Amino acid sequence: MRLRVMLDGAADASWNMAVDEALLTAGDRATLRFYGWSPHAVSLGWFQRWTDFADVPADVAVVRRLTGGGAIHHGDEVTFSLTCDAAVLPGDIAASYRLLHDAAVAAMRRLGVPCSRLDAGAHQQARPDQRWCFAVPGRDDVVTARGKLLGSAQRRTRAPRPRILHHGSIVLRRPALTPFTAALADAIDDDPATVERLRAALTTGIADALDLIPAPGTLSPAEHALATHLQATRYRDPAFVRRR
Amino acid sequence: MRPTDRKYLKSHEWCKIENGIATIGISDHAVSHLSDLVFLDLPAKGSSVTAGESFGEIESVKAVSSLYSPVSGEVVDSNTQLPDNLEWLAQEPFGKAWMMKVRVTSQSPDLIDAAAYDAHCKAEG
Repeated sequence: MRLRVMLDGAADASWNMAVDEALLTAGDRATLRFYGWSPHAVSLGWFQRWTDFADVPADVAVVRRLTGGGAIHHGDEVTFSLTCDAAVLPGDIAASYRLLHDAAVAAMRRLGVPCSRLDAGAHQQARPDQRWCFAVPGRDDVVTARGKLLGSAQRRTRAPRPRILHHGSIVLRRPALTPFTAALADAIDDDPATVERLRAALTTGIADALDLIPAPGTLSPAEHALATHLQATRYRDPAFVRRR
Repeated sequence: MRPTDRKYLKSHEWCKIENGIATIGISDHAVSHLSDLVFLDLPAKGSSVTAGESFGEIESVKAVSSLYSPVSGEVVDSNTQLPDNLEWLAQEPFGKAWMMKVRVTSQSPDLIDAAAYDAHCKAEG
């Protein structure tokens, strides 16, 4: 089975989230999508309260993700989403993180990043006192000696068919609002060529882990139309960010 | 074998109907796959739910999963204590961790009995 690989550029936060939801709900195949953030933005986890982020500067866009976990300040990072039928990943959620995190660790180590997956401690929780995804590494998180390097979260649906959306954010340079993260730039050059090498290594690693064959692709017309609709009606709507 | 006095959906919700009122929750299999539970959102009393459609959401290990209703009808009660006592789901998924009670107008055609549900869980792993 194929893994559609989409190499998207940097886009507005509302478009990024709309495309990922379209791939989850309208898509019927496995897709690995890389993208960036322009302008930089904060994404809130699905259950987080927007009032817990009143200190985010007014000029920083805030968007709500479909996925859980804590908030992320998306600056210079390598962001990816994996959308696939539920059967492609383990039904056990923690096991699915371990599978994808091990693939990411192997990819980053190949580039010279000294990272590893924590196999002890408790899973991180998105409580108000731990509102940032990268604040405190938890069990199965990918870390370096400086802190957490990869943020992950998921949405799992059963209708119209069992599907999973997995979000991954790898910090390239520490963002202003979360200076406690680890960053790729601590260990390797953070130039565009490095980003391309990392995307390629992640693609190979994730495809191998899922036993899929990577192939370049783009949004279908139906997916694009749904993403356009979701951006206008959901992700650009301030009421959607403030729904909790 | 799981309780035989109720029906199940393959999406792991259970439903026990008595006198036209369905008590609904999620199975031990769902709870074990979700692991560390963090947040739960349930519908308010008086709202309507539709068979096969989402009635709530649960978060665990940074993953949000939708919950699907086995029946259509009006929500006549919601377990408002459960979101603050999520450990009940691991302790008594078929008892005090019920999620909502619905006055049934119709049932999902996809409901299966305990034996079929056990086989489904075994196949799913």
